[in-house]
Amino acid sequence: MEDIVCNGCSLLCDDVAAGVSGKTVNSLGLCKLGHMHLETALTHSVGSNEKNLEKVADILIGAENLLLYGWTHTSNEAVREGLGLAATLKGKFASSTDMGAMKAMAHSIHSKGLEIDLEYVRNNGEFIIYWGADPSESLHRHPSRFAVLPRGKKIPEGIESRTIGVVDVRQTETMKMANHRLIIHPGSDAELLNIINSELEGKSSIKGTVLGIPGSELVGFISGLQKSDCTVIFYGSGVVNSGNHDANLTGIAKLVEALRSNGKEAYALPMFDKPNTMGVIKATLTGKYETNSLQRLVAGEFDTVLIVGEDVLANLPGPVAKALSNTKIVYVGPPGGLTDNRALVSIHTMDTIITGLGTMTRVDMNDIQFKKWKPSKEDVTIISTLIKLKELVNKKKS
Amino acid sequence: MKLNPMDLYNLLPKTNCRLCEPKTCMAFATKLALGDISPDKCPPLLEPGFEKNLEKLTELVAPMLSAESTGIKLDESKCTGCNNCVVVCPVDVAAEPPTSEGKAAMSKDTVFRVENGISKIINLEKCRRFPPDKLNCRVCEQYCCTDAIEIW
Repeated sequence: MEDIVCNGCSLLCDDVAAGVSGKTVNSLGLCKLGHMHLETALTHSVGSNEKNLEKVADILIGAENLLLYGWTHTSNEAVREGLGLAATLKGKFASSTDMGAMKAMAHSIHSKGLEIDLEYVRNNGEFIIYWGADPSESLHRHPSRFAVLPRGKKIPEGIESRTIGVVDVRQTETMKMANHRLIIHPGSDAELLNIINSELEGKSSIKGTVLGIPGSELVGFISGLQKSDCTVIFYGSGVVNSGNHDANLTGIAKLVEALRSNGKEAYALPMFDKPNTMGVIKATLTGKYETNSLQRLVAGEFDTVLIVGEDVLANLPGPVAKALSNTKIVYVGPPGGLTDNRALVSIHTMDTIITGLGTMTRVDMNDIQFKKWKPSKEDVTIISTLIKLKELVNKKKS
Repeated sequence: MKLNPMDLYNLLPKTNCRLCEPKTCMAFATKLALGDISPDKCPPLLEPGFEKNLEKLTELVAPMLSAESTGIKLDESKCTGCNNCVVVCPVDVAAEPPTSEGKAAMSKDTVFRVENGISKIINLEKCRRFPPDKLNCRVCEQYCCTDAIEIW
């Protein structure tokens, strides 16, 4: 067994190990999602890409309106190389963080300084709230590694020293660990946040049932917020995809500010599931990047799209996927999937969990360095492919 | 589902014949519910006329057979490998202290260890519920979000 870093989700677990013996892979500490990701990545067979590199370079040079898309499954170094390639080819750089309110949400949280290190959460987080997020289904190790169960400096008894709240539109598995379970009507997040904020400011008094929540339960929840010295809200796709994300995010930011104004510590962190969503957002925080890529794809403004590291056709909304499949797609990334099958030319690379090279950025903006291990092959990585592509493009252009 | 001694008692002959080790039918039912005895240890139950009762009792206590000596039953098909059991288990924390800080168990000394994406009980005899101590510890069951761990 060798130490590895898992990129099965955005937690980027670096306390896990794996070993390969023949066609069998064994792992320690990886959750089911991570182990399955590792098993799949190990089945990829990647050969020489030299011929396809030439073809891809020719297609990219010949493109009139080029889009470089994907990226959330690639390393930070590959993203930087991708930005350079976009500049060389005068193409537009965009990522799957453009979908929904992901990027706006991260920008908003970052600009307001609401985020915090997950290790700090482990050591200090007293009242943990999962709002529209169910880690039991998407980020399996989030509660056990950072937020709910582990002991920390000011949390000597682990979960016994914390209060857990879950706000969702349905009964979730995470609620089993919670002290406060608030099941709300879909789309009423902002309204509930306003009620909580008003209550914290002493402007309202809760009587009877509120938005389907018994008054006593809500009063208990707010009382927990007032008592907690360090509150951390983990908000997920429920907050972002309920159709009212601006008001929801503003409400969360106001709640954090209200708690801080009472002299308490309070933070908010997103619950992304793609491994390097935060890395892509971080790389594009400054500078001018394409932000309407999906709308422009649907409008047919791009004739060629270079997709890197991600099976975007499997995830994009129907109209965008349809429009994308009508363009010239060139793909760089692990083999398999709809995008690879649809691509005019593909350059296959190993997954980052196998190559063990580079860094990705965890949801708390911490860079996690991947670890090399026995199956690592340096010559078939996304970054080496992008470097070669850039060199070829420059050579052909000159 | 946990067994209710009264449900089991109602299926016993209720003769208090004193032919079994617990001596009374109620004590026998309680031991059945705890998995400490099997239905065929009741001699009158093996006599003609009690076939259906024996069959029903055997069916009811059957899951106990997989619960082994601690009463812990781990359904691997429900497990997501979240490591919750590793981090909350007091024995694991003592055996491998980094697990208390949320780290994955790497040694062979813990009760639980997540292998190939699924939690495994690798040292059942170290569990606080294991005889002879049989402490009523249920933290792994309490914090298993997917109900993969059940204690009988």
